[in-house]
Amino acid sequence: MNNAQQTARVGLFFLLGLALIWVTFETLSDGKVFKDRGYTLIAGFESLKELKQGDEVRMAGVKIGSVEETHLSPSGRRAEAVLRIDPKVTIRENAVASIVMAGLIGTNYIGIELGTADAAALKDGAEIQTKVTPDINAIMSELGNLGKKLEGALNSITGAVSGDGKTPGLFQKLDKVVTDNSDKITATMTNLQDVTAKLNQGEGTLGRLINDPKMHDELVASVHEIKRVASDARTFVANAQAIIDQVKTGQGALGALVFDEKTATDLKSSVANLRAVSDKLAKGEGTLGKLLHDDSILRDAQAVLKKANTAIDGLGDSGPITALGVVANSLF
Amino acid sequence: MNQLTAILEGIGSTVQLLFRAAFYTPTLWRQRARFIEQCYLIGYTTLPIVAILSFFIGSVLALQAGYSMSNFGAKQFIGSLVGLSMARELGPVMAAILLAGRVGSAIAAELASMKVYQEIDALETMNIPPARMLVLPRLAAVLVMMPVLAIIADLVGWFGGALISKYTQSIAIEPEAYFSVLRRFMEFKDVLNGLIKAEVFGFVIVLVSCNIGLNTRGGPREIGAAVTKAVVTSLILILVLDYFVTKALMHLQS
Repeated sequence: MNNAQQTARVGLFFLLGLALIWVTFETLSDGKVFKDRGYTLIAGFESLKELKQGDEVRMAGVKIGSVEETHLSPSGRRAEAVLRIDPKVTIRENAVASIVMAGLIGTNYIGIELGTADAAALKDGAEIQTKVTPDINAIMSELGNLGKKLEGALNSITGAVSGDGKTPGLFQKLDKVVTDNSDKITATMTNLQDVTAKLNQGEGTLGRLINDPKMHDELVASVHEIKRVASDARTFVANAQAIIDQVKTGQGALGALVFDEKTATDLKSSVANLRAVSDKLAKGEGTLGKLLHDDSILRDAQAVLKKANTAIDGLGDSGPITALGVVANSLF
Repeated sequence: MNQLTAILEGIGSTVQLLFRAAFYTPTLWRQRARFIEQCYLIGYTTLPIVAILSFFIGSVLALQAGYSMSNFGAKQFIGSLVGLSMARELGPVMAAILLAGRVGSAIAAELASMKVYQEIDALETMNIPPARMLVLPRLAAVLVMMPVLAIIADLVGWFGGALISKYTQSIAIEPEAYFSVLRRFMEFKDVLNGLIKAEVFGFVIVLVSCNIGLNTRGGPREIGAAVTKAVVTSLILILVLDYFVTKALMHLQS
């Protein structure tokens, strides 16, 4: 083997070793010999949980840097993570950082929200806003509490339903009621069965209503009739409105009566005349007065009235008021 | 008593040899051809056996871990177990043991035979100190090559573990999950820790082997005895030093 070849092999071998050490270093601690550019931000948290040096910083899921250092704040009141951010990435003042858990075995990263474009950009060494996210332990203890509550609730339900040994529960009570009244319940059931069977066969009013198509048709016709009457009533109301309008404007006799003062004075004098006439009548003066004070005339008049009554009765039979008329009246 | 004196004598001559070699460090550039040759012998030719051994160490580690950890549902942590064991302990130690067997024995045999056949005496007569010409290039070469061997051992072991975790039916952990756990629970300092250990082991192996080779007395039979002694001493030193170096590094890094 010549000397140059040997030298080359040794050189190659040594370089390979250096490269492997370098790769291991990069992989394990997110090495920063060539990456020590960009700017740093400080994120303060109550607890960094499982976050450690070299963990990723992601904005909206994209890796933009790494956790350079973790330490307690000088005051010792909180934990701080120093984030090294890619210089190409601008982080806005209203962006919020939180510790995000990527896996159950404790792989974490810092997630930063996008923020809005109008907010100012954070400078090197600035502090980023943070928020607390519940970690798996908090969730677990919450779940534990929930489980306890559920168990309590289930226990009380079980107590109410099946009794606690001393007082009977819902099931025992129900059982007792059913056992005590089993005859009655059976009878009721039988009756109910009879009734439904009859309904099904079309017996009785309800049965017919359910089973007879003719009834349905009639009902539909009736409804149509009601609708027609309602429209008639509407035109009637419109006419009445027109009349009232005319009265208001002083047209016609009624209008004159309501709105003309001269008519009122006429009416007063008419009433006075009427009173004079009735006074005379009361004293038996004149034909009408005699009529009022003479019994024979009263008897004649009564006979005439009786006849008239029978005549009106007959008239009443021949002029029935239709059911539809009643319905229409009640509607309005 | 005689034994104790021999041990102390060995330690003393080793330290002396180290200082003498360190004294000649400036001459290293002039002997670069020898240095490259030693790099080739120590690093390049040792690579295949280191890779094969590490692969199977990683695999068997994953297999055993899967077997024992599935009992308590910690199977998904195999990645971190194999990763940490390989990087912190088994990678460097296995590479060092192979180095002791393959390189330490060769060095001891070579130097012992040179000593037995009086080549060392000839060199000294020509005013060429063996510490400069024979020991320094080897020490420099092992310092340069040992981290390379160790990192290859680590990585090959990790991949062996990943492969076994995926294809063993009772484990069935995807490489993604394996390496994600490995990354999660490891830092570069763990690997660095292993590399430092490997460096220490390699240096001690070569130094001790050189010293034993150079201090051989007697005839050709002593060559074999020197080789045995070099390998046994190296192995003992590896495991003893392992404990102390690990402890010291833990103390330094915490």
